[in-house]
Amino acid sequence: MPEHTTIDHDVIVIGAGGAGLRAAIEAAHSGVSVGLICKSLLGKAHTVMAEGGVAASLANVDNRDNWRVHFADTMRGGQYLNNWRMAELHAKEAPDRVNELESWGAVFDRTSEGKILQRNFGGHKYPRLAHVGDRTGLEMIRTLQDHAIHQGIDVHMEVTVVTLLRDGDRVCGALAYDRERGRFRVFRAGAVVLATGGIGKAFRITSNSWEYTGDGHALAYNAGAELRDMEFVQFHPTGMVWPPSVAGILVTEGVRGEGGILRNSEGQRFMFDDIPDLYKDQTADNEEEGWRYVQGDKNAKRPPELLTRDHVARCIVREIREGRGSPHGGVFLDIAWLKEKLSNAEEHIKRKLPSMYHQFKELANIDITKEPMEVGPTTHYVMGGIRVDGDTQMSTAPGLFAAGECAGGLHGANRLGGNSLSDLIVFGKRAGEHAAIFAKEKGRGAINDAYVTDEIKRALSPFDRPTGGESAHQVQHDLQLMMQKNVGIVRTESEMAHAIDALAQLRERAARCITPGNREYNPGWHTAIDLGNLLTVAEAIARSAIERTESRGAHFREDKPDKDPAWGDRNLIISKGADGAMQIRQEPIPKLPDELGSIIEEMK
Amino acid sequence: MTTTQDQSSTNSGAASSEAAEKRTVRFRIQRCLGPNKPAHWEAFDVPILAGEGANVISCLQYIARRPITADGKETDPVVWDSGCLEEVCGACTMIVNGQVRQSCSCLIDNEAPNDGDVISLQPMSKFPVVRDLWVDRQRMFHNLKRAHAWTPIDGLHDRGAGPQETAKNQETRYIFSTCMTCGCCLEACPQFLLVDEPAKWDESFVGANTIGQVRLFNLHPTAKEEAGERLEVLMGPGGVSDCGNAQNCVKVCPKEIPLTEGIAAMGRATTVKAVKQFFTGE
Repeated sequence: MPEHTTIDHDVIVIGAGGAGLRAAIEAAHSGVSVGLICKSLLGKAHTVMAEGGVAASLANVDNRDNWRVHFADTMRGGQYLNNWRMAELHAKEAPDRVNELESWGAVFDRTSEGKILQRNFGGHKYPRLAHVGDRTGLEMIRTLQDHAIHQGIDVHMEVTVVTLLRDGDRVCGALAYDRERGRFRVFRAGAVVLATGGIGKAFRITSNSWEYTGDGHALAYNAGAELRDMEFVQFHPTGMVWPPSVAGILVTEGVRGEGGILRNSEGQRFMFDDIPDLYKDQTADNEEEGWRYVQGDKNAKRPPELLTRDHVARCIVREIREGRGSPHGGVFLDIAWLKEKLSNAEEHIKRKLPSMYHQFKELANIDITKEPMEVGPTTHYVMGGIRVDGDTQMSTAPGLFAAGECAGGLHGANRLGGNSLSDLIVFGKRAGEHAAIFAKEKGRGAINDAYVTDEIKRALSPFDRPTGGESAHQVQHDLQLMMQKNVGIVRTESEMAHAIDALAQLRERAARCITPGNREYNPGWHTAIDLGNLLTVAEAIARSAIERTESRGAHFREDKPDKDPAWGDRNLIISKGADGAMQIRQEPIPKLPDELGSIIEEMK
Repeated sequence: MTTTQDQSSTNSGAASSEAAEKRTVRFRIQRCLGPNKPAHWEAFDVPILAGEGANVISCLQYIARRPITADGKETDPVVWDSGCLEEVCGACTMIVNGQVRQSCSCLIDNEAPNDGDVISLQPMSKFPVVRDLWVDRQRMFHNLKRAHAWTPIDGLHDRGAGPQETAKNQETRYIFSTCMTCGCCLEACPQFLLVDEPAKWDESFVGANTIGQVRLFNLHPTAKEEAGERLEVLMGPGGVSDCGNAQNCVKVCPKEIPLTEGIAAMGRATTVKAVKQFFTGE
């Protein structure tokens, strides 16, 4: 058998962002041995980039808030395709998890009474996002990292997982290699938690970091687990569009939460032009009322800039398409206008949005307290993911758990801002807890040595191919362009059908990719391995998007621009067929319990 | 570790405004093929379009796609570490023209405005080199552990609604909480030296960032219960008295954390604790 080392743990957690760290901490608390595997340096995972805050109905700022309102907001945002059990648990447990984070040392901005301050965000009825300036993600990762390194968890940094290992149907380990030397490691475990984040690198313009190549989605799919809701990819309305070296980098929704407004090249606040029926009663009638809302007036309704992300992104695309865009192909986001309203506007903006101020100053030479930003949509988040049980976070493959962005269900057709950070800590904890229980009950599974041998050979195949093939990097680049063009923010049947053909060709090219050199420090090889995962998730997204013949939430089809009630009660499930081909099927959403149904009715 | 995660097309010749002025910037990069291997320099020429916001990382991505030196030789792609590319994660710390900093926020138009300008890149010198610009920063986590930079609260602790905290306390803690474990303060510190052997880390200077984190935790409403334990560490070998007051740390911190103030505050706290121990014997 090819050379490898073997490492034993009770639970292994793959991914060390917010969900992975929280899962590892929880599993370690219950006394099992935990291995935490991450592709990069500890503390640098994508969670660090989250800005606006973590949603939890603490009701510190508005005492009308409670879990029921948060639940109803999450379901409305998700167009009722959510896993309602997850939405319920999330709304109920988020305040506890936020308080816990604080007790572990996290700093949050405070109210005048010394409680955790909460801010407004799109789709949330009341100010709900606990935050620290606009760098809440760093605070979360630093706190969890500080806590985790004291738990006796073995951290395996700069390690990439190639495939999951199974004993029968049960997942009981992972085959991985260290990125430094390319040496293979077999991790044997009683249970595996995936917390690998998203898929942003399947698209050209994205706010996601280089690590976001859909690893967990593809690992789970290949291990026999089902994926759900993959057609729903969130394009955040405000990414930087200029300069090109930073195109796609996120501009937090917090800018709009603090009073930032969107304007087109004619100076018009175009968001007032199109307000969806579902939100008519909650949206301000005029600019003056919108301003009162961001100032904290409880009787005012929110400005249309704070409508859900899918809608704001489409309005921006409309303005750009109709020729009212900014010079570099975006629209204007203006926070500098606060100087008309506040005497200390400059100081206020720097205090409330320090990272945004810093980001534009450092990366674009723009002072946001003086001039507007240019922004446009950027691939931000995938609502779809590994199908899990709401209570335990176990996937449809026994022993395999998933939490955070790589798990699907909580957000339905569209995620509300702030619900992702709370997702990480609520379901990270649950996944860690239940993975530990599973591992204690079942013990370690048997490793299939023949499979390990085959998979090592497969992973090394880019070195063995005849010369003359292209680099994996080129194929990844073309995949990103193709997905951006054909399965992006505005979709049509013909373009997506083209995408399916194009994916087949890209897959063939990927199979012929070569990586010169050897296994040591070989980034071309790493890209070749990531590429397989990206192709799998790209296909899942394209196939699901073709199948759903309507527009809903983040999934917008120009050829089917309306919501179709017939699609309102079903999810799309992706699985790997016996022949290795991707299968897709519709599945009805289980009936909502009366208690939850009445909450939704009441809050409509 | 990354080399080809290109986000940008800055340097790939994508058309932009016609007026953009093209120039060439030479990168001199200190290469090293592995731990304890000799270092050598290689030069690469990178075309830059003025006003397109190219930064050191986007240029490294260009070099990774086309690893050919300025004198036309093919070479191994340069290896470096990066993450967020928006100066919030701290992964891409390196020495740019002799100055330690985040390379993602180092704009070429500022650093090398003229045709033919040179930018030199070196790995941090206070951590073992893994390869090229990529260093092993495990010791930073070790030092955080050493100083108990956490609070030992588990799921059984009754938190209630959480502690209240004054705005003033929050403000003091806020700035220390912006630390992203990037390592700049340690690179600049004359007292923090490269220590290859992990067994010797416990006697070596903990460094400004760890002292800052002790300050952060010792002000925390619940974590201050263990303040004494943390001060104990800072009173021991490699603690706060090892600081030579060069004040370099505060000058290079990309988050402008008042590190020297943190060291001074912890210095006072350890003195108070020592005096108290002298009289009470506790």
